[in-house]
Amino acid sequence: VSAAVAARAVGPALGAIVGPERLDAGGEACQRAAVDDLVPRWVVRPATLDQIAATLALAQDAGLAVVPRGSGSAGALGAPPAAVDLVLDLTGLDRVLAWHPDDLTVTVEAGCRAGALGARLHARRQWLALDPPGAAQRTLGGIVATNASGPRRVRYGTARDLLLGVRFVQADGIVTWGGARVVKSVTGYDVPKLMVGALGTLGVLVELVFRLHPVPDAEASWLATFTHAEPAQAFVARLLDSTVEPNRVEWLSGPALAAAGLGHAALGVAVSVGTVSEAVREQGERLAGFARATGGPLTALSDDVWASLERAQEADVGTVLRLSTLPSQLAATAQEADRAVAAALPGARARLTGCAAVGSLALLLPALEPAAAAGVVEHLRAFVAGFGGHVVIERGPRALRAAVDPWGPVGPGPLALMRALKAEFDPKRLLNPGRFVGGL
Amino acid sequence: MHTFYRGQPEAVALPTRTEHVQAIVRLCRRARVPIVPRGSGTGLIGGAMAPRGGVMIGLNRMNAILAVDLPNRCATVQPGLINLWLTQAVAARGWFFAPDPSSQMVSSIGGNVSTNAGGPHCLKYGITTNHVLGLELVTGTGELVRLGGAAPDPPGYDLTGACVGAEGTFGLVTAVTVRLRHQPEAVKTALALFDSLDAAAEAVSAIIAAGIVPAALEMLDDVMIGAINAGIAPIYPAGARAVLLIELDGPRGEVEAQAGQAAELCRARGALEVRVARDEAERALLWKGRKEAAGAVGRLAPTYLLQDAVVPRTKLPAIMRELQAIAARHGVRIANVFHAGDGNLHPLILYDDRRPAELEAAKQANEALLAACIAMGGSVTGEHGVGLDKAKHLPLQYAEADLNFMARLRGVFDPDRLMNPDKVLPSHPACGEGFRPRRPVLPEGAWV
Repeated sequence: VSAAVAARAVGPALGAIVGPERLDAGGEACQRAAVDDLVPRWVVRPATLDQIAATLALAQDAGLAVVPRGSGSAGALGAPPAAVDLVLDLTGLDRVLAWHPDDLTVTVEAGCRAGALGARLHARRQWLALDPPGAAQRTLGGIVATNASGPRRVRYGTARDLLLGVRFVQADGIVTWGGARVVKSVTGYDVPKLMVGALGTLGVLVELVFRLHPVPDAEASWLATFTHAEPAQAFVARLLDSTVEPNRVEWLSGPALAAAGLGHAALGVAVSVGTVSEAVREQGERLAGFARATGGPLTALSDDVWASLERAQEADVGTVLRLSTLPSQLAATAQEADRAVAAALPGARARLTGCAAVGSLALLLPALEPAAAAGVVEHLRAFVAGFGGHVVIERGPRALRAAVDPWGPVGPGPLALMRALKAEFDPKRLLNPGRFVGGL
Repeated sequence: MHTFYRGQPEAVALPTRTEHVQAIVRLCRRARVPIVPRGSGTGLIGGAMAPRGGVMIGLNRMNAILAVDLPNRCATVQPGLINLWLTQAVAARGWFFAPDPSSQMVSSIGGNVSTNAGGPHCLKYGITTNHVLGLELVTGTGELVRLGGAAPDPPGYDLTGACVGAEGTFGLVTAVTVRLRHQPEAVKTALALFDSLDAAAEAVSAIIAAGIVPAALEMLDDVMIGAINAGIAPIYPAGARAVLLIELDGPRGEVEAQAGQAAELCRARGALEVRVARDEAERALLWKGRKEAAGAVGRLAPTYLLQDAVVPRTKLPAIMRELQAIAARHGVRIANVFHAGDGNLHPLILYDDRRPAELEAAKQANEALLAACIAMGGSVTGEHGVGLDKAKHLPLQYAEADLNFMARLRGVFDPDRLMNPDKVLPSHPACGEGFRPRRPVLPEGAWV
């Protein structure tokens, strides 16, 4: 069967599954849905689980490469795809299916945006504590599939800690469920964990059950500023080795502080504490003590500082590297990032933000030629390899992600298992082919 | 838990090094001999039994703490290390390992990882998987792989997360990197006595609804109260038909404020009495009944079936009423001690193993209760694991496609299915080789 014949047959078949109004075959919509310049032949906007299952079954039979898509904010994550035939736009599945405030659980469809869910949960002073930059506009399916995290991970963890159950559709169209709808379950294997950060390469996420948390009564934020990285790291170390229970511990390099309008210090660590108001005050005093001991003046910040930090980060549309480092390596990582950025662009300093308490930092690169940006990636990979860290290109131009592996090396043992997983569950390599680690 | 699982291995190996484990796995694989990993043997699900014989690998001699890295809040340990020993090793510096199954004085961390163990404090801190950063695993094919590690978010599939709770069916864990936590500034424990289980359950809902996340929220029913009063010490006053144990930890100001609020909420729901511990000795006394509960039921019956099902927390009053009805219908006594905060039940279905009819009634009551929990949106097991005991119950909670996915997942790590056979997965067609679930039916004319 020639490609042209197959294409003629697939279009009507997709139309029969989702209806013509939920299908684009060519034209403007397909151009807009291009992934790394690969324009899909179809954009399907399913409205139901059954439509997703049937679409994937058909794609499997026809051998079509499928790219699941939420808000589209992670289009520049991962390696350029090997093929894109069909984009599965999941934003039509955006319902909150069940919210049980007294059980602190919620079930949503994968296309539900974090902002829309958050607005509903706020009525009962609850939240789903996933706060990557731009979360409000992102879909929860996308946040889970990319394992996106934000400042609050120090207290609440990441998607792997908050996702309780998941319904997904395998590459061959089989609807599958893993996990549970209750906050505690060890029945069977922990399938939800496999879906977190897998970029939809083992299945398309359709329905997600999350654990919720109560919003603390009161919250306050402070900024400790420093002249060097070492005392800033010492401040974080004192905080971690204490009974202070922060909500956020963000590392902010000088350029990151300046971009958020937080002054011109060389370095800062922004901390927030959320609990009852009495304890917020007490913990603030403890923080002031740590700051004094490490030579960094502590100033109170207004509550909206986190929104401005997020806006500043979102305003930058350039390349973002995710540096997975360790709290004991914060200063060295920051210095190395400065060195790498200055080597690529003389005089430039690294714009670094992220959760210092776990060592998950985002490096926003200045505009660089792909070869120079790749040099920064390689430089930092060589550095973090010494202690088991990672450097992932979270967002970047196609040329950069083609020039250097955006995920970085994965050990041969784990990679062999990952390949075996992919071969088992998507043997035709049709789900997001080529974009994940090791070219999966 | 049934205490009647039996199964004897042909050989027991007690390796002291990872290479030994790897060599044994390779040898067994060539000879097609099943392998059963075993830690301290405290599991409640027959997970460390050898129903098909084979080689049992006891990991008890691999019990070293390999590294403690407090600045990065983690430690790497061998699987045979006793859970509590890790906390003891870091307690003087103010740290602890959060998973605290009741067996923590004897159970091994490898076993905790395999069963994804919980404990009273997982309401606030999460179960074992939330504290595992990385693993060293000898897979079913004898490969040694290092998964995850101290640095966050390793790229690729979360194989560490997939292996926690796999009960040795993916391979043997030979080292674990775990998250350590700093001790909280303050701990406060309170005990509230109620004249009905419903009132106590309402208090639980009220506490959660108030935005309080206690470290632990435990409940005892009247049968259990009677057993403890008779068997251990007269801890609880006559008239108490439900005991709620509330433990809060965190910043002092938070604990003080929330303890007062929780006590108030209990009184508002008709608590007969609320006792708040003033010091560590009083705290230990309040916990005494809870900790010795399972032992105390020995007064009531020689044997019991221990259940571990979960219901959504708001269904507690409904499931307890259902439980009474089931007990009456099957003519059995059921004592209850449970993690009320997360809806994790631990009914002890009492029977006398010298009377076969009683065992049969207990088993039937067990099945009825599990079905009721699942019907309320719950789960077969909250923290004990599946093992031999509950494998047959997985189809209650999972459809064929789900079981098939799990069976294939297991095959990726252990293609010969020699690692801990008969555990976790039921003998169900969907778990068999070559089974394919039904694919969606495409609309008429959709495809030619």
